[in-house]
Amino acid sequence: MKKKNWKRDDLIVRCLADSYLPIALVLGFYVILHGNISPGGGFQGGVLAASGVLLLYLGYGFRGAATAVNMERMHKLEAVGALAYVFFAMLGIFAGYNFCRNILWNSGNIGDLWSAGTISLMNYSVGFKVLTGVGFLLLLIISLLSTGEDHEHDGTIPTTEHEEGGAAK
Amino acid sequence: MKNLIAAISLILVLCLGVYAVVYMQQEIPITYDGRDTDVYALQQDPHDYDLSNPDGVADIIVKENLEKTQAVNNVTAIVFDFRGYDTLGESFVLLIAITGATVILRRARDRWEGGK
Repeated sequence: MKKKNWKRDDLIVRCLADSYLPIALVLGFYVILHGNISPGGGFQGGVLAASGVLLLYLGYGFRGAATAVNMERMHKLEAVGALAYVFFAMLGIFAGYNFCRNILWNSGNIGDLWSAGTISLMNYSVGFKVLTGVGFLLLLIISLLSTGEDHEHDGTIPTTEHEEGGAAK
Repeated sequence: MKNLIAAISLILVLCLGVYAVVYMQQEIPITYDGRDTDVYALQQDPHDYDLSNPDGVADIIVKENLEKTQAVNNVTAIVFDFRGYDTLGESFVLLIAITGATVILRRARDRWEGGK
């Protein structure tokens, strides 16, 4: 048995990645959405959701992750998240108060999902920013990992004939 | 010489331990307890919650925070409202770190586009 095919032939790893990827995404978005009423917040939920990229790589290798995720778009969306944070913080200046003023503070009831005004909006923007930023960082590291001696010259992991989904042409 | 230094430092640590035990016997006011806080009543009606006999700083913090921001999670309210500038700088530090990693690993990025 050749040593270089050990990673792609592991069906157990792929099935576990298939099972855990939706769970990781749902848990990450839950933590981001409930940042103002439960333990957690934007940073933590963003990192949780970005771990889906790593699961995608473990299951489907470099080629599968490359076809599923657009790297350039993630890098641009991170800047969009940062600008959204600055915009929600400058809502206070637009309303005539200082920077980071919570001008929507009494919208909604205490304990609801939409309850804390600009706190939850800034929480969502920071979660989006961390999700895209850490995902981009993981993709960068993965693309560096995928160019060792055990791989093809174009950076893909060698596959066998019965592979589906993300197999090299 | 080595044994002497070891003995002296051991005696010093012992003296510090005895001093700490004596110091802990004093009456030090409790600053953060919150054991007797009625969290449900505090969340239902933070304006009318009785703060005449607080058992620590916890229920004062929670009451003031609920009145001012209406966010149940205190840490999120502090991070995104009271310390908003801090979070802004933190997220831009992350942006700069990712930009630096992109510059250092730009060959890997070229490989990524080639593998597509």
